[in-house]
Amino acid sequence: MALTSARLLTRTVHEKWICAHSLTLRPLVCINKAAFYGEYRRPGQAQDRTPPWKKIRFSFAKGVQGIRKHFGLLKDEAMERWVGPQGRPLIEHMLEQTRVQWEFRGPESLEQWLVSTDREIGGRSEAYLKLGRNDSACMLYGTLCSTPPRDGETCYSGYCTLRSRQLLSSFDRKKNIDWSSFNTLYIRLRGDGRPWMINIAAETYFSHQKDDLYNYFLYTRGGPYWQDVKIPFSKFFLSSRGRIQDNQHPLWLDKVSTIGFTLGDKADGPFQLEIDFIAVCNDRAHTEEFAYEMYKRNPEV
Amino acid sequence: WILAWMGLEINTMAIIPLMAQQHHPRATEATTKYFLTQATAAAMILFASTMNAWTMGDWNINQISHPLATTTVTLALALKIGLAPMHFWLPEVLQGLNLTTGLVLSTWQKLAPFALILQISQNTNPALLTTLGVTSALVGGWGGLNQTQLRKLLAYSSIAHLGWMIIILQFMPALTLLNLTIYITMTSTMFLSLKIMASTKINSLALAWPKTPTLTTLIMLSLLSLGGLPPLTGFMPKWLILQELAKQDLPITATIMAMSALLSLFFYLR
Repeated sequence: MALTSARLLTRTVHEKWICAHSLTLRPLVCINKAAFYGEYRRPGQAQDRTPPWKKIRFSFAKGVQGIRKHFGLLKDEAMERWVGPQGRPLIEHMLEQTRVQWEFRGPESLEQWLVSTDREIGGRSEAYLKLGRNDSACMLYGTLCSTPPRDGETCYSGYCTLRSRQLLSSFDRKKNIDWSSFNTLYIRLRGDGRPWMINIAAETYFSHQKDDLYNYFLYTRGGPYWQDVKIPFSKFFLSSRGRIQDNQHPLWLDKVSTIGFTLGDKADGPFQLEIDFIAVCNDRAHTEEFAYEMYKRNPEV
Repeated sequence: WILAWMGLEINTMAIIPLMAQQHHPRATEATTKYFLTQATAAAMILFASTMNAWTMGDWNINQISHPLATTTVTLALALKIGLAPMHFWLPEVLQGLNLTTGLVLSTWQKLAPFALILQISQNTNPALLTTLGVTSALVGGWGGLNQTQLRKLLAYSSIAHLGWMIIILQFMPALTLLNLTIYITMTSTMFLSLKIMASTKINSLALAWPKTPTLTTLIMLSLLSLGGLPPLTGFMPKWLILQELAKQDLPITATIMAMSALLSLFFYLR
């Protein structure tokens, strides 16, 4: 009896000690990755507390396939070097005045694009991407809903975006597009009269620049006729996390990463955008370097 | 060594505001990368010189004799000037700058590290110097092959020329000095010509012929001189270096250097 009481007492003291120190020991014992790295949790979903080692799905065949693919890409890059820049003869690079960067001519062209909506932050908009008639254009369609659901968590809603995937070279290294020979963006599209925003992302270095985008407006006409849109790169302005920056500078075209189209006009209802191709061209008549004022803040008087 | 290190640090600090004056994120990126590499190299120099002073009891620049200290300071100076395999920062940094600052970076900023390299030339590891030189010449030729941006092209040209300078350092430092002088002259010509034409891409050079034929001819001759084509001035240091390498019974090294010069000449001619 005395022994049982002593054991109980010891256990109680031990439990109390653990409970008292758990608040201080917890961060040391089980590190909360979300607290450190600020992981985003989609509203309505529980936080993912699975440790990283449990998420590994090891497959030897996949590994071999990956190695073969990447070494093949590396070999192609080495061979391309003997041909010229980006695997084309230099004379082609010197003489080209237009370049079709993306065109939608088959199912594989849709693999290069990502569609996302405000569903990721808890909204109710929908967007889908498919090939148009005769596999000659892509159609982005869906429904925009700018009213956030009443779940107590979601604050904002009402956007959808189509963005090109980051190009990757061998071993998943980022590959950027060099548009420095061109000065105008040329898109052939057919919209529904809604205003869209074109976003171009360039390669950045600092972490505070990761949300930097260069934007310009795209007003679609709607109707049965295709629309040719020519936007000089000098018109693109800098924004970060959706906010236009005071300190503006022109877009440097030698390291472009992605291009995207965003709809966020706060008009609920269906939308549709067809894109035939996205190209760049060199308009010799356009000599403007940058359309916006670059001023010095706090000038000395 | 302490005063030399201080001089190098002041040199780096002085050019940082010049590089960042453009107020563009790419210029800031270039400045940051430059500062990080130069500070690392300066710290390595300080570490090596302190190690040499601790073991050998000597602070003199040309009395550095501890093998580890000598190797470390050679690698640090190679990082300073952008010798392969410590060259990765140079094309990106030059690309982010305007042509005037790029000129200063390619010419003036090489003088201080070379002054130290020349002083320690007798104590450096010959195999290390040969490796650095051959690697730089090959990387400079290979890297510049498909460049369409002129600043990156000149960066790879710089790496290749530095390789030529370093390879002959152990046999005849006077040739290194000659090569450096001629390189500075030719590179200054190139940068100033490109600045007058305000061109940073190969395409704009192609269109320059009807606008400024004299300047275009000058640029062409400068490029051929950089490539080492006789009878232009740039041929002389390369010829003398190859001659000296042959005299020192290094035919394979001389052949590799000549082949890499052909690579460089290929992209200059284009």
